Amino acid sequence: MVNITVIFSLQSLFLVGCVPGCLKICANVMSFLLTPLFHFQTSRDGVNWDLSEAVPRLPGETRITDKEVIYICPFNGPIKGRVYITNYRLYLRSLETDSALILDVPLGVISRIEKMGGATSRGENSYGLDITCKDMRNLRFALKQEGHSRRDMFEILTRYAFPLAHSLPIFAFLNEEKFNVDGWTVYNPVEEYRRQGLPNHHWRITFINKCYELCDTYPALLVVPYRASDDDLRRVATFRSRNRIPVLSWIHPENKTVIVRCSQPLVGMSGKRNKDDEKYLDVIRETNRQISKLTIYDARPNVNAVANKATGGGYESDDAYHNAELFFLDIHNIHVMRESLKKVKDIVYPNVEESHWLSSLESTHWLEHIKLVLTGAIQVADRVSSGKSSVLVHCSDGWDRTAQLTSLAMLMLDSFYRSIEGFEILVQKEWISFGHKFASRIGHGDKNHADADRSPIFLQFIDCVWQMSKQFPTAFEFNERFLITILDHLYSCRFGTFLYNCESAREKQKVTERTVSLWSLINSNKDKFKNPFYTKEINRVLYPVASMRHLELWVNYYIRWNPRINVPHP
Amino acid sequence: CWVQSCRTHKFSFVRKCIATDTSQYDLWGKLICSNFKISFITDDPMPLQRFHYRNLLLGEHDVPLTCIEQIVTVNDHKRKQKVLGPNQKLKFNPTELIIYCKDFRIVRFRFDESGPESAKKVCLAIAHYSQPTDLQLLFAFEYVGKKYHNSATKINGIPSGGGSGAVGGSNQKTPFFETYSDWDREIKRTGASGWRVCSINEGYMISTCLPEYFVVPSSLADQDLKIFSHSFVGRRMPLWCWSHSNGSALVRMALIKDVLQQRKIDQRICNAITKSHPQRSDVYKSDLDKTLPNIQEIQAAFVKLKQLCVNEPFEETEEKWLSSLENTRWLEYVRAFLKHSAELVYILESRHLSVVLQEEEGRDLSCIVASLVQVMLDPHFRTITGFQSLIQKEWVMAGYQFLDRCNHLKRSEKESPLFLLFLDATWQLLEQYPAAFEFSETYLAVLYDSTRISLFGTFLFNSPHQRVKQSTEFAISKNIQLGDEKGLKFPSVWDWSLQFTAKDRTLFHNPLYIGKSTPCIQNGSVKSFKRTKKSYSSTLRGMPGSLRNGIISDPDLVPRRNSLILKAKPDPPPPPTSQDHGAEQYFREWFSKPADLHGVILPHVSGTHVKLWKLCYFRWVPEAQIHLGGFITAFHKLSLLADEVDALSRTLRQHRAGSLDAGHAGPDESRMYFRVSAHATPGTPDFLSSAFPFSPVGNLCRRSISGTPLSKFLSGAKIWLSTETLANED
Repeated sequence: MVNITVIFSLQSLFLVGCVPGCLKICANVMSFLLTPLFHFQTSRDGVNWDLSEAVPRLPGETRITDKEVIYICPFNGPIKGRVYITNYRLYLRSLETDSALILDVPLGVISRIEKMGGATSRGENSYGLDITCKDMRNLRFALKQEGHSRRDMFEILTRYAFPLAHSLPIFAFLNEEKFNVDGWTVYNPVEEYRRQGLPNHHWRITFINKCYELCDTYPALLVVPYRASDDDLRRVATFRSRNRIPVLSWIHPENKTVIVRCSQPLVGMSGKRNKDDEKYLDVIRETNRQISKLTIYDARPNVNAVANKATGGGYESDDAYHNAELFFLDIHNIHVMRESLKKVKDIVYPNVEESHWLSSLESTHWLEHIKLVLTGAIQVADRVSSGKSSVLVHCSDGWDRTAQLTSLAMLMLDSFYRSIEGFEILVQKEWISFGHKFASRIGHGDKNHADADRSPIFLQFIDCVWQMSKQFPTAFEFNERFLITILDHLYSCRFGTFLYNCESAREKQKVTERTVSLWSLINSNKDKFKNPFYTKEINRVLYPVASMRHLELWVNYYIRWNPRINVPHP
Repeated sequence: CWVQSCRTHKFSFVRKCIATDTSQYDLWGKLICSNFKISFITDDPMPLQRFHYRNLLLGEHDVPLTCIEQIVTVNDHKRKQKVLGPNQKLKFNPTELIIYCKDFRIVRFRFDESGPESAKKVCLAIAHYSQPTDLQLLFAFEYVGKKYHNSATKINGIPSGGGSGAVGGSNQKTPFFETYSDWDREIKRTGASGWRVCSINEGYMISTCLPEYFVVPSSLADQDLKIFSHSFVGRRMPLWCWSHSNGSALVRMALIKDVLQQRKIDQRICNAITKSHPQRSDVYKSDLDKTLPNIQEIQAAFVKLKQLCVNEPFEETEEKWLSSLENTRWLEYVRAFLKHSAELVYILESRHLSVVLQEEEGRDLSCIVASLVQVMLDPHFRTITGFQSLIQKEWVMAGYQFLDRCNHLKRSEKESPLFLLFLDATWQLLEQYPAAFEFSETYLAVLYDSTRISLFGTFLFNSPHQRVKQSTEFAISKNIQLGDEKGLKFPSVWDWSLQFTAKDRTLFHNPLYIGKSTPCIQNGSVKSFKRTKKSYSSTLRGMPGSLRNGIISDPDLVPRRNSLILKAKPDPPPPPTSQDHGAEQYFREWFSKPADLHGVILPHVSGTHVKLWKLCYFRWVPEAQIHLGGFITAFHKLSLLADEVDALSRTLRQHRAGSLDAGHAGPDESRMYFRVSAHATPGTPDFLSSAFPFSPVGNLCRRSISGTPLSKFLSGAKIWLSTETLANED
């Protein structure tokens, strides 16, 4: 960094002709760097421009139709424009001379398309389409009542926004973009485990799940205790929900305590026990000799964990697991989070609830949920870092809250994950490979907007990361734009990165061969995503303060469509 | 400490409590009370904090007497407690003393090992000295008195205090606006025409709450002013504050109490102001009493805010934190002042009208509004010297009643934190435009603290006249020869060298500031280099057009995907009567362009933008500290960068000058607090926390907070105790 700094400083000196007051120049450059990174601009790479129409087009993107519409802008009122629909995006260009409005929306962000007004609607601009998006905005277009123009647009949009319902491929499979780096090579599990010093005397890499026979939602490659045989693993799998057995996520480089993740034990109403599971947890405990007990963090509220017994799940009881201590982290389920985010949207879009902003924000409980997730992750990180004990984390199925907790704890513990590539690896490992159900949670290409499986769990994780980056402005190599870009492509369907629910499904669909990785886009233009304050540090554990006094609503993301609110802010 | 206070009372074997749940971290030492401060000297020298940032007047555990809010004595055996007022008796021997400070600290001492009688004595002494019955008993008088006595024998003058020791490399003096020439210079600086310095109040002949010199419309003759003055509350006739380059002036005045004369005088004044405007524009009157919260409401909000930030248990207030914060109404009031000031900026800047701030006495809300308008409009007031001159001009000289509003004598019903509200509003602007200010938020917080140190004359009086009157009386009673001087000269707060070393003062500098000119040190002398207009604007142009609101003005820019890019639709021209509409359009247009940091800056006043000033309000709350985090870590990084560029440019200049011998600049030449050093590791220093430089070192924490482990608070900071025991022993 120092070298880079020198070069950067010298450049600024020479570029401006060495005026003596060069500090100001430096300050200028810095303020440039400091400028908010809320805006994101697609690189020109790979984007073709149809010059006759000035509509951007990706390789593989094809034009379907265009129409004259009135865009009912919630901030500036109705604007006449021409909308172009491709198999990837909806693009609107203003036709009014005094407005340069452009709307560029990947169809993937569309969650719902509704017709508004009927044949008898009389009011001005009351007949058209209402589009609800997954990224905290709605779009409304008014169309002419005559000539089926609305029907056409509705059908085309529905077809291309929800390709799964029409046996069409998701755009990522049609995308022919080329980048000079291949994002699919970023994560190699063997390399990542090697970086962690694995395998070692206590932990081994197993290929038991090579063909996803042990657990179809787990990755092919797993790290398990050296002393547990493959047969042991199979027996443990029978007692863990969806066979998601406890496996290693991260090992502390010095004290060798570990973070292990899994799903809930299948205790059920009768309080079933499983000797193999009990023994297996004991084996995990023994891999670290400093301690007498294994710490189990059940991410759920206590009552939810109890309620899960009714459906065959449950938690590790004291009687059965003598050498473990169990704590509940009180994080609510996907439905609660979905409803909370809905409330956030209600108070920020299209207009920000100004009169009682703070109490309105409080009533969404969004920050409270963020606080609980961060609090849980801090506890996991502290347990491991202070060497007190190894930690096992689970929720019900171990793919939502568990992923949040392990990945955030790892981000706090391991500075490697705070670099751009490190973070990509973290997401690729703890979320994508371990079966966070992106397809179900996001509903890529799926028209069922009310699906109860949808939930902003990954968004919540990214929000937590953003909160951490606010508290530690020098600790992360990436900037806010990086996080927003990830979220944009979580929905866009331009890349294969977040498609499907698990590794086995991705393998079946040959995602890595047939689609482009989001990391290709990012890594081929890394400078844009870099935090100028980044100070690389090794072995520093970050402990954010998970207090409402510090947590803030991520305005540059949640309120970014509002031109009156979204302003530069360092 | 260079200030020698006297009449000290010393008590040994005192324990300073650190945690509620354990006494293992308590500190043993001596409690010393003087007429200046309470000190606690630990028996074992404490391991020094790893960063050396200290106030030269105050030790780590010291509390200036004027900073004490309330003194509570407790006897936990008898389960008694008492709030100690002045001249009160204490019927029990206290086992414990809790001091609530105005700067949001809470300090607690125990007397288990000291004699019961002496414990009582110390409490009574503190109560006595911290609640003086008379202004002249404040430490500043005693201090200055001694200085005069000494100088009579030694010719060694007192610190004259013209901000001489200013800050870092700044060689400018802060004008006090005590003289004719300071005002005259300000008229010339702003290019105001049609305004003149008026000296009818010399010797405070007209009004005791106006400065001796002030600025009035040229068309008003002294004779008229003298007649008019009788009709104004406090005889506070219109005072010029500032003029825009377009000729519009900002004026403040009290209400006209004489009902019969009201219309006539008002007319005359307005006409005169109109005449002073080059375009003879109308006058826009802003009645602050009707549009803004009053001083009682502001005080009530502040009390609630303080209660919430420091007194309420941390964990219990978490769940309802946001609504509780909203209920204090503090942020709402900060917004109200910012918003109103911004609207007046619109009047002055866009409608080319002169603005008259009207308020009953014209010396409270007017101070805030007049200052904020000028900070927004005039980049000069965003420099350190400029900001200080603004406080001299609109607060100290304009008769803001620091004595009563700060409640230095602890018996005022008129306490209200208007000055803090102004600093808070300034902080909001700094937060929104970090490169527009020469000073840092540390500077603002230190400035706030300085209002609580009874050494400086700056924040001690209700008016300049009060200083002269009181100090003349004092001088006579102490046989001090004043000579030609009008009253005693007290040290000025702007003489920062009295409080901080040169190195520590560099922390006042904002490394992000884009100054028009930056002093550079060459061959030991300070030189100022003017930046060319050209290089500045080219830098601005280099900023991404995406900076603003998603509104794009540069047609060459590639439209961004995933974003809604709007060009503000020009609204139909506003109907001439609708001022609100015009203001809205003005703001919208202003916000649609990149801000010129050397021009006008306007605040964003939506609820999402106005924030709690955490450094100021949370710095003594250990649970709220982010260890190794907070903005200071970015500040640190930037300082290193700025320092490096500084060093490089020095080397380059030396190289060009051909003097190859002096390759390295001495460390004292840096303007930055954090410097690049060959032997230090490049990482974030481990003493940094979000409260830096205000670390309550030597104290300890209660319990783990929000899952953030206790050990993290122990590593850097320890804490001051809160009210918990008090509640238990009620």
